[in-house]
Amino acid sequence: MLSRANNPEPFQAPRGQLSGADQVSGTGAQPLIELCGLSKTYEAGGVHIAALRPTDLVVQRGAFLTVMGPSGSGKSTLLNLFGLLIRPTSGVYRLEGRTVSDLNDDSTSAVRCSLIGMVFQSFNLLSHLTILENVCVPMQYAGVPRARMRKRAKELLAQFGLEGRDGSRPMQLSGGQCQRVAIARALANDPSVILADEPTGNLDEKTGQEVLTIFQELHRSGKTIIMVTHNPVYRQYATQSVTIHDGKVTEG
Amino acid sequence: MRPLEMAVTVYASLTRHLIRSLLATLGIVLGIAAVVAMLAIGEGGRREALRQIESQGVDNIILRSVKPVEGNSQQTTRSFTQRYGITQRDFDHIRNIFENVRLLVPVMDTRRDIFVGQQTTDIEAIATVPEFLEVTRCRLVDRRSRFLRATDGQVMDPVCVVGVKAARRLFGHQDPFGQSVVIGNVSFRVVGLMESPGSGRLAGQYEFNNVICVPIEIIRALWGGIRVQMRRGTAEQVDYDFLYLSVKETGAIPGTAGRLRTYLRSVHAQADYEVQVPYELLQSARKTQRIFTIVMTSIAAISLLVGGIGIMNIMLANIFERTREIGVRRALGARKRDILWQFLSESVLLTSIGGALGVGLGIATAAVAETVSRMGGDAGLKAVVTSESLLVALAVSVITGITFGTHPAWKAAQLDPLTALRHE
Repeated sequence: MLSRANNPEPFQAPRGQLSGADQVSGTGAQPLIELCGLSKTYEAGGVHIAALRPTDLVVQRGAFLTVMGPSGSGKSTLLNLFGLLIRPTSGVYRLEGRTVSDLNDDSTSAVRCSLIGMVFQSFNLLSHLTILENVCVPMQYAGVPRARMRKRAKELLAQFGLEGRDGSRPMQLSGGQCQRVAIARALANDPSVILADEPTGNLDEKTGQEVLTIFQELHRSGKTIIMVTHNPVYRQYATQSVTIHDGKVTEG
Repeated sequence: MRPLEMAVTVYASLTRHLIRSLLATLGIVLGIAAVVAMLAIGEGGRREALRQIESQGVDNIILRSVKPVEGNSQQTTRSFTQRYGITQRDFDHIRNIFENVRLLVPVMDTRRDIFVGQQTTDIEAIATVPEFLEVTRCRLVDRRSRFLRATDGQVMDPVCVVGVKAARRLFGHQDPFGQSVVIGNVSFRVVGLMESPGSGRLAGQYEFNNVICVPIEIIRALWGGIRVQMRRGTAEQVDYDFLYLSVKETGAIPGTAGRLRTYLRSVHAQADYEVQVPYELLQSARKTQRIFTIVMTSIAAISLLVGGIGIMNIMLANIFERTREIGVRRALGARKRDILWQFLSESVLLTSIGGALGVGLGIATAAVAETVSRMGGDAGLKAVVTSESLLVALAVSVITGITFGTHPAWKAAQLDPLTALRHE
């Protein structure tokens, strides 16, 4: 299903949203992600709840990391911290060697746009747009010219077996197809890391397996993948795995 | 986000709920339509008023005899002659004392019916002097035309100059030159055709195009002071029905008019005259126009306030409904300002569409009002849609979009990405 031959040239999205000082250059020796004492505490009614206890973690470039644990353990909190959707209470998060945990909102958005691709359990496709337009959304925010953007989106859709369905709306597709569109969208700006929050959670077993195969192939092609999952079977595909219990992260 | 992409995104969002979007603009449509229509009708009325005032000559002062109420007349035993209005003495005083007056043109109504066949008409025969043409800004039609000359009165040549409308009624398609018009029992030869460019009226009364001008000396020689036998043996005598005073400089008009009023008050025991100053009327019309503009602006402001609140409501509802979309966009890299611009652009596009539809509806409404008002055969309303009013209407609709769209758009931009993503 995933064919690199359809996409021979790696896509480089313009990173105009990052300032010159913020530009990140990938180096093979450096870990892609470093968490140093990263924690997240929520306050509700005067009570402090430690969603993620101080965590040290290193994710190498090209790794396939699975995050497991029971419901409410802090998996999503960790993924949201990776995705810069929430700010840590303490600690440092480095992405591609640069501290991103203390960036302002604009810079955080720029990092999300250029370096992070997100895949959600419920797909989160925009129902009023065609699937081609959905794939284009991250590229719009990266300032990619229209013609180049549409060409790239078509290539990605074709890569995931959705050739000729450009004009379809999400509601006209099956769950598996929607998730493939979501993965295509996550790859649109050729990010450094793909964050997947239970990407097979809304799919039947067979379709879930197909989606997992896509992630395996992406991993083989060199992408770094961090996947939150309940399914222990998926651990066998990972190069690295962490488990969370009550906000405490343990490797293995 | 590039402007083109922003435009595509905004268009896709609005067409998602086309009917709702159009309904949201209804307040703006009606508000702008009302403003455009009222401005058009107001502008038409203003231009007509100014045209009528200007047609009397802005540098003129018009003195008019006014018949007082009967109780003030000098009554004899069985009959009386009512004498009133501008006198020869007034005429002489003005000519000798008022140095600012460049031309002094007397006009007398002959008070004689003009017949077409056996039918009387509303055509008026007036006696005046050659300078009449200059002060009234009338012009001669046809190269054979000439106006009254000083010599006509001196040699008692009974000639007349006919307004174009009166000529059509008197002679139909026949050539009027050389034809005769009977006034009283005297026949006058047509030597000229005249026309008022703006269908002007004599002191706002007689239509220039519907009058016949004859030399004043001949009328005086024929009938002396104008005495008309009226019912129950009464008659009236008026030396001059109108005096046109053409002032040398526009700046001198208010002072001259003031002096004239003072003089007339001192010599006339009763209010048997009226001083019309087109310049003052013009100033008054401009003041009225300013008031009209303020009223219109207030109405427009209220209409647009209501429309704007409607837009704000819809935008707030939109944002609530699309909270998850905002979260997805933020997760995919949208900055706060991208979200702000997207929703603000939607709001501005909505009000602009409303404004454009409102302009169309306003023009149509003004045209319908004009047509309906003319159904009775009268001159009716005249609607004038100016490009300025259209630009103002569109600019105001854009400003309304910005004003009432900013708060919802700002609210959307401030949404926390994760909270928005989890919104059901």
